[in-house]
Amino acid sequence: MAAAGPSVFLLMVNGQVESAQFPEFDNLYCKYCFVYGQDWAPTAGLEEGISQITSKSRDACQALVWNFPIDITFKSTNPFGWPQIVLSVYGPDVFGNDVVRGYGAVHVPFSPGRHKRTIPMFVPESTSKLQKFTSWFMGRRPEYTDPKVVAQGEGREARPT
Amino acid sequence: MAEVHVIGQIMGATGFSESSLFCKWGVHTGAAWKLLSGIREGQTQVDTPQVGDMAYWSHPIDLHFATKGLQGWPRLHLQVWSQDSFGRCQLAGYGFCHVPSSPGTHQLACHTWRPLGSWREQLARAFVGGGPQLLHGDTIYSGADRYRLHTAAGGTVHLEIGLLLRHFDRYGVEC
Repeated sequence: MAAAGPSVFLLMVNGQVESAQFPEFDNLYCKYCFVYGQDWAPTAGLEEGISQITSKSRDACQALVWNFPIDITFKSTNPFGWPQIVLSVYGPDVFGNDVVRGYGAVHVPFSPGRHKRTIPMFVPESTSKLQKFTSWFMGRRPEYTDPKVVAQGEGREARPT
Repeated sequence: MAEVHVIGQIMGATGFSESSLFCKWGVHTGAAWKLLSGIREGQTQVDTPQVGDMAYWSHPIDLHFATKGLQGWPRLHLQVWSQDSFGRCQLAGYGFCHVPSSPGTHQLACHTWRPLGSWREQLARAFVGGGPQLLHGDTIYSGADRYRLHTAAGGTVHLEIGLLLRHFDRYGVEC
C-alpha cells in the first residue's frame, strides 16, 4: 500500500566545474550557486562557491581549468523546482577592472549516474551604442544584480544577450 | 490522477539566416490535463551569437501536470523571431514537437517553417522586412488547415527535456 501524504526524497550532487573555453578572454574565475523551488531545501554541503583564477593552457585547445568541487545534498517532496546550477564567470578587462564574462544555468541531471554537461554562457548586452562605449571605457559592463535571474523563466524577454 | 513533470531547457537555435533571435514558446495540452505548477508559456531573451552561429537561450522549463487521460499529450509549440538593430521583430519560423513520453532526459531538435507569401510579399520581406504571419497560433501544432499554406524551411531549435512520470501504473499504463 502506498503511504498517504508527501514523501521526502534526497538528491545528492557531487561533481566539479571542470573547465571552460572562452576564446577571447583569459585569467577567469567562476562562481556557482543553486536555484531551486519552494519545496526544496539543502541539507548538507555548500550552496555557493567562488573558484580560483585560472589562465589558459598553452596548447591548442586553450582550456581554462578550474577543477572546482561541487558537493551538495537537497531534500524535497516534489520534483517541481528541480535545482539548477547557475554559473557566472568573471575576468579582468583591458583596464584591469573585474567584469562579467558570462552567465549560464543548467538543471541538475535527473537520473543517477555520471553526467557531463557543457553550458553555453552569455552576457547581457547594452541597449545603445553610447552605453556600450561608456561601459567599455569605464569598466562597468551590464551585469545582473542577482545572478539567480538566469535560472528563471519569467521576464527574460526584457534582457537581450 | 497521474502526474507528469516536464523539466528542461530551450537551449538555442541554429540554421537561421538572421542573428539576434528570440523564441516565444508555449505548451498545449488536451482537456483532461491540468497544470499544477509552472508557467505554461513564455518568451526567451534576444541572443546575438558571438562565437559560432548558434543563438543560445538556455531558457528553463519546469511544468507539473496532472492528467486523467493520455489524449492531448502535451505539445511544445515555438515561434522564433528575429530582432534588428531598430527594434523591429520579424518572424523566422514556427515549429512544434510533442513532449517525450518515456522518462529520462531527451535531446530534441525541432525544425521550423515560415509561411511564404506571394512573390511580391517575398520581395518586400527581403528588402523591407515583415512578411506573412499566422493569424491563429493553433495552426502551429494542429494539422487541420495546413493544406492552405505554402511554406519555406527555417532553422532548428534545440531543446533538452527531462521527463518524470508518476502513478501511471495505477491506470494500467506502462512506462
